[in-house]
Amino acid sequence: MRYIFIAMKSSKRKTLLQPFLLSAKNRFFPKNKIPFRTLGVLIFSLAVCLVLYKVVVRVVTYFHSQNELGIILSLKIFQMAWITMFAMLVFSCMVSAVSTLFLSQDNEIIFAAPLAKSDIFFMRYVTTSIYTSWMMIVFSIPIFAAYGTVFKASILYWPLMLGAIISTAATATTFGMGFTVVLVNLFPAKRTKDIILYLSICFGIFIYIIFRLMRPEDLVNPDKYGHFIDYLSSLATPASPYIPAAWASNLLSYYLMDREIDILITALLVVTPLTLFFLGEWAMERWFLSGFTKSQESFGGYRSFFSRGKYKRSSLQWTFLKESKLFLRDSAEWSQLFMIAALVIVYLYNFKVLPVERSMFEEEYVTNLISFLNIGLTGFVVASLAARFVYPSIGAEGGSFYIIMSSPLSTAKYILHKYLFYVIPFTVLALILLVVSNRLLNIEGPMWWISVITGLIITWTVLAMALGFGAIYADFKAENRAAALGGIGAILFLFTAIAFEMAIIFLGGSPVYRVMRGWLRNGVMSAQDLLTLTGWILASVAISLFLALFFIRTGIRKLEASGS
Amino acid sequence: MDELNHTESNTSAGQNNTDDVLVIDSLTKKFGKFTAVDNISLEVKQGEIFGFLGPNGAGKTTTIKMIAGLLQPDNGKIFINNRSLVSEPQKCKQDTGYIPDRPYLFEKLTGFEFLQFIASLYNLEPETFSRNTAHYLKLFDLEDWQHHLIESYSHGMRQKLIISSIFMLEPPLIVVDEPMVGLDPKSARIVKELFKSHALRGTAIFLSTHSLEIAEELCDRIGIILNGSLRALGNLKDLQLAARLEHSDLEEIFLELTGAYELQDIINALRSG
Repeated sequence: MRYIFIAMKSSKRKTLLQPFLLSAKNRFFPKNKIPFRTLGVLIFSLAVCLVLYKVVVRVVTYFHSQNELGIILSLKIFQMAWITMFAMLVFSCMVSAVSTLFLSQDNEIIFAAPLAKSDIFFMRYVTTSIYTSWMMIVFSIPIFAAYGTVFKASILYWPLMLGAIISTAATATTFGMGFTVVLVNLFPAKRTKDIILYLSICFGIFIYIIFRLMRPEDLVNPDKYGHFIDYLSSLATPASPYIPAAWASNLLSYYLMDREIDILITALLVVTPLTLFFLGEWAMERWFLSGFTKSQESFGGYRSFFSRGKYKRSSLQWTFLKESKLFLRDSAEWSQLFMIAALVIVYLYNFKVLPVERSMFEEEYVTNLISFLNIGLTGFVVASLAARFVYPSIGAEGGSFYIIMSSPLSTAKYILHKYLFYVIPFTVLALILLVVSNRLLNIEGPMWWISVITGLIITWTVLAMALGFGAIYADFKAENRAAALGGIGAILFLFTAIAFEMAIIFLGGSPVYRVMRGWLRNGVMSAQDLLTLTGWILASVAISLFLALFFIRTGIRKLEASGS
Repeated sequence: MDELNHTESNTSAGQNNTDDVLVIDSLTKKFGKFTAVDNISLEVKQGEIFGFLGPNGAGKTTTIKMIAGLLQPDNGKIFINNRSLVSEPQKCKQDTGYIPDRPYLFEKLTGFEFLQFIASLYNLEPETFSRNTAHYLKLFDLEDWQHHLIESYSHGMRQKLIISSIFMLEPPLIVVDEPMVGLDPKSARIVKELFKSHALRGTAIFLSTHSLEIAEELCDRIGIILNGSLRALGNLKDLQLAARLEHSDLEEIFLELTGAYELQDIINALRSG
């Protein structure tokens, strides 16, 4: 009887996983088609893994070449990598778990069916874990493998490393899932999701800023070792025994250093995810239904908004209002402003601590060169942020896009309104990055103007390209703006934008160098140099206009042809 | 029946009657090899409620999306108030209010903000906006909810908000896809009365529905579409003649014209089972 029960349970669990498995199969291996897309993604991922592996091997080898402290330091970074991976997995699993457990569209079918809560937990656990941890697992393998190569580890390291990665990921996701079930009992599901989102963003910003302010480049600078000797002695101590990620780190560190396996830690790594899974199942039985009930009650209808503004007949004004309200009322969107603020702070901090005085060339030449290259860096930041915010802005209209398309507002005007909406904050951002970094580098004269003018031309063009690509590859079914980032359109946009920026910078190298050489040597610019510079700026404007108009027009045509 | 079809649809683009608000001429739309709409021609006059019926997948929504300017036809022409939708899309859209079957709205706007946004898209007079929003919000019991986010609205409330947003514009042509989905009986009654009163004031209404009762009660003329082609067109009497069921109601006519004659066998099988 007991065997029949177990067999039924496992067949139900298999059935529950069918939609996930079949969707994945249909997505990656479509019937009667060669899966070019899947092969492309696979080759791209392998290439990224290979590059990551090579870079980490080089960095760790460099540490090793220093001295004993270098080895300790490299192992400390090894430990930090494990803990960061674990924390990121816990947060991302919790954010996903709120959605998959409480807000999924298929919940009504699943929960209305005669299924045990433990079976549902199993299904959600497997799918959420795969969604949240596959990328982390895939990209952590080359990092930890590089340590094995540099430390010349024996063959046992590889299964040990794989087991440790899987166990740590499973511990993080089981903990995240179980904790979410409990948390949704205290706060409504949507509020819980917001809270976890804020916490994870704060954690990300904290790690990012702390890591940068530690100035890791100084750690491998022998001149600074005197100041860091106390710090390095503390580095040698093993990580806290209460953090599961540290177990994996300690297990592998011992093995790398002494070729010994700590049985206790191995046992902990095996037992912990299993224990947490059963605890999660128990939490699901105990608390799930009340949390799910709450998640359906908390529809936010009690909140009213101040929207009594006087109606005016300007569609431009209302597009601005609509866009800003949708942005500011969506916590997943406006919370990204913190990330941008952290990015700007660290970006500018890099210029503040730049060791230009240690350069073998004249400081003025170096700062001007950096200022020129900074145009490209600013452009890169602008392109990345445009990929996150501007590119998905058309697809983000979702099912409501029919409203725009069936209205008398022309598609061209709609795109223009969107462009004008985004051009203001992006111009401010680009100006902050360019002007403040120029100030920190003490840049004055023609270079200041070159960097600001070219930076703005690049920013405005990249925005138009983002909107154009966003229109061509608009995904009206994407769950949120961030989801659109993984699409082929976003990748193509980024490649095109970066290629455009590099072309502008590359073309400008010679004319800017000539003008700046004359200016720095004699304080004057020859007419011929000025002419070449003007030619470059005019060519840049022409290329920019052509690209902006080309992509916007193609986007408009695509939108009009496909309707909604 | 073909004769009926022919006589009803022989108005060509150049010969529009002045009171024709909507003229569809040989409209065709294909998705790959599949023909969703096949050479449809019809017209809707000022003050007329035109019912568009057909089984699931017959091509109703595709036709409606082409009239609303959301899909480009592969062939044929659409004229709204004697203007071509291809050459003057903005002017045609200005004259058309489209109510879809699924109420997708901007979730993070309040109901009132949504109405303001729609009004600004159609460049509505501020006085008309103030007068009409107050009227329709009250009529549909949305007054207390107007400053709440749309994400907190029920399906029916969303549908009522979209209907309000279109009636508020007072367009000469209203195109509606399944108007009563999700509406409570009171709101459904109000919507029916609104259709009638607006038609009396001259608005042309193109209405797609599965509800034969609604079609029978509201529509002056009905078109039945099957596999992308117009199967029949005319008033109830014309349809009765076409189906050779002179004393039958619309349900029987619909089943006859859409080839649901095997239905009787299914019913018999179910009853015997």
